[in-house]
Amino acid sequence: MNELERLRHAMRATERPDAVLDLDTVLREGRRLRTRRRVAGAGAATLAAGLATVVVVVAVGASGPTGRPPPAAVAPPAVGVSPMAEESLDLTPPPTMAGDVLSPKPLGQLVDSGVRHGVDRRVYYFVGVSVPGEPGVSIGLAAGRQAPDGSLTTDMLVNTVEGSDRSAGFHEIGYDESSSAAPAPTFGYFVGPATRIIGTVDGRQVDARLARWSSDKQVVIFWFDPGQLTPGERLDGIIARDGSGRRL
Amino acid sequence: MARGDAGFVEFARAASARLVHAAFLMTGDHHQAEDAAQTALVRTYASWSRIHDDDAYGYARRTLVNHLVDGWRRPMREYPTAEVPEQRRPDVADDVATRRWLISILRALSPRERAIVVLRYYFDLPEAQVARELSVSVGTVKSTSSRALEKLRSAAPRSADEEARR
Repeated sequence: MNELERLRHAMRATERPDAVLDLDTVLREGRRLRTRRRVAGAGAATLAAGLATVVVVVAVGASGPTGRPPPAAVAPPAVGVSPMAEESLDLTPPPTMAGDVLSPKPLGQLVDSGVRHGVDRRVYYFVGVSVPGEPGVSIGLAAGRQAPDGSLTTDMLVNTVEGSDRSAGFHEIGYDESSSAAPAPTFGYFVGPATRIIGTVDGRQVDARLARWSSDKQVVIFWFDPGQLTPGERLDGIIARDGSGRRL
Repeated sequence: MARGDAGFVEFARAASARLVHAAFLMTGDHHQAEDAAQTALVRTYASWSRIHDDDAYGYARRTLVNHLVDGWRRPMREYPTAEVPEQRRPDVADDVATRRWLISILRALSPRERAIVVLRYYFDLPEAQVARELSVSVGTVKSTSSRALEKLRSAAPRSADEEARR
């Protein structure tokens, strides 16, 4: 028996068929999670209201011409947690969500990240948002998936909740910390003449991929290749440089 | 109990042992493994109305692995290697030795390597599927897998020696 065969054998031989989980607790917690998903879906439009800092907003619904099933993989707020979104959610809420959720319409063109989830394309796009008392905030950046039929599923949305969404510099960074099978690569946007954006993690530098927003060329959408930066892994730092290499 | 609940309970009873064991292989800790398997089942049940006719086991497995991988992104990354549990079968000595050997070689791997080893050689998933489930390239799966096996080969003789000294 070689090492690999021995490994396979050992992994199977050490199974404990008597492992028992508390299924009553599983059912109870599962029902709670399901309820939270419904609430989060219905309330995501106003989730940002009243929070004093940056949030990653729980994803809202699907949009698109074909009426695709409702939304998928969502992430919890990074900070400023709303009680509606206290837990990481994953994958598609029940079909009953379809009538409750919003359908964020992309502003400008979709940015194709080049990342694929099966046949779906990972795309980024801005959508309109409204934050009470914050007239300077009107857009948020969404991470979604576009199916071959063109339908769009929004997974995450990040937006500023204070000040201006067009102020120079970095804005929110979206970390997908859900348990989704198709996690969104880390993403965000920068306002200014950046031609290079570099993240640092564990002492390692990772270059982001960039695309300018079709509706405002000062806005640079960026994302990190999931092969270089695991979705959800926090950056230790991030900088932007212009065409001459000057730090912005 | 609703009809869907009965179906889920049946599924959960059938899948629990394997999910817990997979989590144990990836974490080395029985309590953490049970917690992770329970979390995976909670999330599976929350989505049950949509997935129960589909690949429920695959959904639970993906949720489990992603949950554990998320955990490894946090600061605590050691492989605790829990105590050897009591065995009820007659070949106790063999079981204990096998488990010790398994723990010692898995401890030599990084969390990502363990995840790939478990998906490839415990769940017997093809490389492409492992890549999809971990959101990495097939090349990464191949190279990590190869590196992990190298570690296993180098760790194995030491483990055998250690066993011999016990």
